[in-house]
Amino acid sequence: MINRAAHLVRLYFFQAWFSYRSLFAWSTPFSYMTSKFGFPFFSMLLFVFMGKFVGFLDPMFIVIGNILMMPTTNGLYGISMTIGNERQFGAMSYLLGSPAPRAPLFLGRAFFHILDGFITVLVALPIAMLIFKINFAGINLLLLAVCLILLSITTTGLGFIMGTVSLLSRDGWMFTNTLGQLLYILIGVNIPVERLPGFLQPLSGYLPMTRGIMATRLALSGAGWSEVIGLLAGELLVALVYILIGYTLFRLVERASMSTGSLDSI
Amino acid sequence: MIGSFFRLGIRQMDVQLRMRVLSLWSLGLFFTQPAVFSAIGMLLARAAGNTSPDLIYTVLGAGIMGMWSGLVFTSTYDIRADRREGTLELIVGSPTPLRRVVGFRSLLNILAGSTSMLAAVGAALLIFNYSFAGINTFGVLISFALLLFALWCMGIFLANLLAWSRLSGTFVDLLEMPIALLCGFMYPIGVLPVWMQKISAIFPIRWGLEGLRESLKGSPTGEVLATKWLLALGISLLYYLLARWFDGKVHDHIRVTGELHSI
Repeated sequence: MINRAAHLVRLYFFQAWFSYRSLFAWSTPFSYMTSKFGFPFFSMLLFVFMGKFVGFLDPMFIVIGNILMMPTTNGLYGISMTIGNERQFGAMSYLLGSPAPRAPLFLGRAFFHILDGFITVLVALPIAMLIFKINFAGINLLLLAVCLILLSITTTGLGFIMGTVSLLSRDGWMFTNTLGQLLYILIGVNIPVERLPGFLQPLSGYLPMTRGIMATRLALSGAGWSEVIGLLAGELLVALVYILIGYTLFRLVERASMSTGSLDSI
Repeated sequence: MIGSFFRLGIRQMDVQLRMRVLSLWSLGLFFTQPAVFSAIGMLLARAAGNTSPDLIYTVLGAGIMGMWSGLVFTSTYDIRADRREGTLELIVGSPTPLRRVVGFRSLLNILAGSTSMLAAVGAALLIFNYSFAGINTFGVLISFALLLFALWCMGIFLANLLAWSRLSGTFVDLLEMPIALLCGFMYPIGVLPVWMQKISAIFPIRWGLEGLRESLKGSPTGEVLATKWLLALGISLLYYLLARWFDGKVHDHIRVTGELHSI
């Protein structure tokens, strides 16, 4: 029993480390940094100036929202690529043919992305504090850390789902990208959810990160555990549902590919 | 001579259209991303209490965004794709200069990207009942032509930069948002701090775009518009000359070292 558990843990971290390394094997530190910070930073500035032009008087809302959105680079795009690239690099057949248990194989792809996403926000927040002169005095640092870790975890559910979609379609990356862009509208990054049109607000509630971003904003403004615990619990629940959907989808696709042998030819 | 030039152009653009442009990825760049940015602009305006968005910046600006994003990724991806598919050596080894191939491809990329602008104009007319009455039609046509030329010059410049160094790919990917930011695709350039406005002056797209907006607002063809047109044209030509210089450097490098794939 203990040996079995140790084997699963070892497999989980082994998969986590190698899938992360292989994803960024092509990357130089410069390209890594630009892909992590470049697009988010400049798109954030673009939204700030768009807000300034139309008279949106709270640029800090946009700045903080875009920083909290950063874990999606890992959780959504990174994991989706990690899973989708298995087929592109020709490793999918070996993976599906191996007797290894699927849960650590699949879920292991998220670990370093969660860590990386968390560190990215940890680096970006103090930089934003310096550049935009944000005063974070009086915040509960432990609560903030919990919020940021939860945000880094919750994006992975979408990544698992979109990764499986990219196994089914060669244009999967386009769908992932479209979804990633829609998140800029729907989860309270640039526009407060309560100010979205009525038909979009319920949709926001069903998406990961919406409650996490709300909770983190509250934590940054000095709120305590009692004020955000409900939002955090909701966020965790949404995250678990999405991760479960992603894993189930992967198993269904795997089963279908076993019977048709068609996964590599899609 | 002229016939073979046009035949080459048509063949190149035909291949480019089939191989690179007609894909869901490109369509996403031309339509989805601009639509999302446009929606953000409108929702921000709504959140700020404005009854209606400024269509020239929010909707037509998104069209320019689609043209630019499409250009950045298709034009710069071309060389990378040739490298990956093993056709870069064949193109460089053929009697047709690489710059001519790149030039025709970039032209098609720009024309394909223009569909983004067409969609934006269609949305402005059909969804938001935008009226084009009172615009300076001549100014719009000249400004748009100059904008296309500016984008083409930047496209071939970036494509040659990619042939020069593999690392430049990262740099070029990074350019998508800063150019949109600096050239004021979605807002007037005056919104930017002065130091950013000074930097944006080196991009011809900014001047073509300003000319287009002035013309859409009905400004008469005069000194102000002419200055913007001249700046757009002059800076575009500078980019073109830089691209030619890069092209020469790449060919020299290949001849001296015999390396291309490893660049």
